[in-house]
Amino acid sequence: MPFRNTTRSWGSLSKAFHWLIVLLIINQWWIASRADELKGLAKLEALAWHKSFGLTILMLAVLRLLWRLVNPTPDLTVETRRWERVLARISHVLLYALIFAMPLTGWMMSSAKNYPVSWFKMFQFPDLVTPAEQTFHQMHDLHHLLFGVLVGVALLHVAGALKHHFIDKNDVLRRMLPFGKVE
Amino acid sequence: MTNYLAILGATLSLFAAACHASQDTAKPAAVKPAAAAPASAATPAAAATPATGAPPRYTQNAAKSSLKFTFEQAGAAASGNFKKFTTVLIYDEKNLAASSLNVRVEIASVDTQEPERDAMLKDADLFNAAKYPAATFVASSLAKRADGGLEAVGKLTIRDTTHDLRLPLTLKPTPDGLELSGKTAIKRLDYGVGQGEMKATDSVGDEVKIEYAVSLVRSRS
Repeated sequence: MPFRNTTRSWGSLSKAFHWLIVLLIINQWWIASRADELKGLAKLEALAWHKSFGLTILMLAVLRLLWRLVNPTPDLTVETRRWERVLARISHVLLYALIFAMPLTGWMMSSAKNYPVSWFKMFQFPDLVTPAEQTFHQMHDLHHLLFGVLVGVALLHVAGALKHHFIDKNDVLRRMLPFGKVE
Repeated sequence: MTNYLAILGATLSLFAAACHASQDTAKPAAVKPAAAAPASAATPAAAATPATGAPPRYTQNAAKSSLKFTFEQAGAAASGNFKKFTTVLIYDEKNLAASSLNVRVEIASVDTQEPERDAMLKDADLFNAAKYPAATFVASSLAKRADGGLEAVGKLTIRDTTHDLRLPLTLKPTPDGLELSGKTAIKRLDYGVGQGEMKATDSVGDEVKIEYAVSLVRSRS
């Protein structure tokens, strides 16, 4: 499997970005729901992990976007209809926007509470906003709202991929699978 | 975690000054710790001061004073401050031994800009503000440091634990008095700020940095 993308398939680096971010997002959801049930130090620790993974997603998002810009993007098949192309385009743009917006709103939540964030206790990141209770609530609500949007768009994305695979019987899904083969 | 805060507050020192009449006019809160100091601390200061006049006395201008603490929390430096504290300095440039510093920090005034964390700080495992409402620093003399600066030689009490502390400080003249500033660091666990699970230092570090800038107004004596 080539490292770079071709117009027909995704390269190994693009696949790695895609699946790593998928796993990290699921992990983020799991940690966040655990943290809601915890108190005191345990909650602090759980949220510290959540923030470290969130910053990881943000850094991967930056690299992923750069990589996409300097690489060919595999085309959709010729038989893909216009409405499908438009819907795919919108959901891809949204998904990219969300992998930036989720970590950024979370980071702002933390700054607003005067909890500077660190990346796995190795580096401290700067504060994005000045501490204020109101900012925290706005960012908290936004972070949760965006998560809802993320779940919705991700489900649409999965549905689209499955349609390509099982109904249209093309290789749009297979070409993003870690060891998928494209004829 | 936030325990460090307490430490910081304590670093400010109180003045011994126990000796002079001017002291009677001092604010009750500030005077109390000095009065409680061992008699031995007060006596030398009294003897050293000539009868011709007590050294000038300075009290804190609360609006222009800050007592900030910084500690490590989950790998990042978090900070807060104590909004209420009182400082009394008796300072004679030519007689540092007769100078004194007296600081009292109201634990309940802790502010980290996050109400949940403030509540944790005031809780029994950290400062236990209900049982130990104030931290104090009582220094019955000042001394020159090797680097030429000053330090207050005293005792810091947080919760029910007291340790010797040499508090570095710089005094700068202002139109109506002095500006006292400096910074130091203490270990929160030395003072019992961290009981139960809060004894662990992997999430909340042991060291607390304290930074103070206190505006002092010369009072009539």
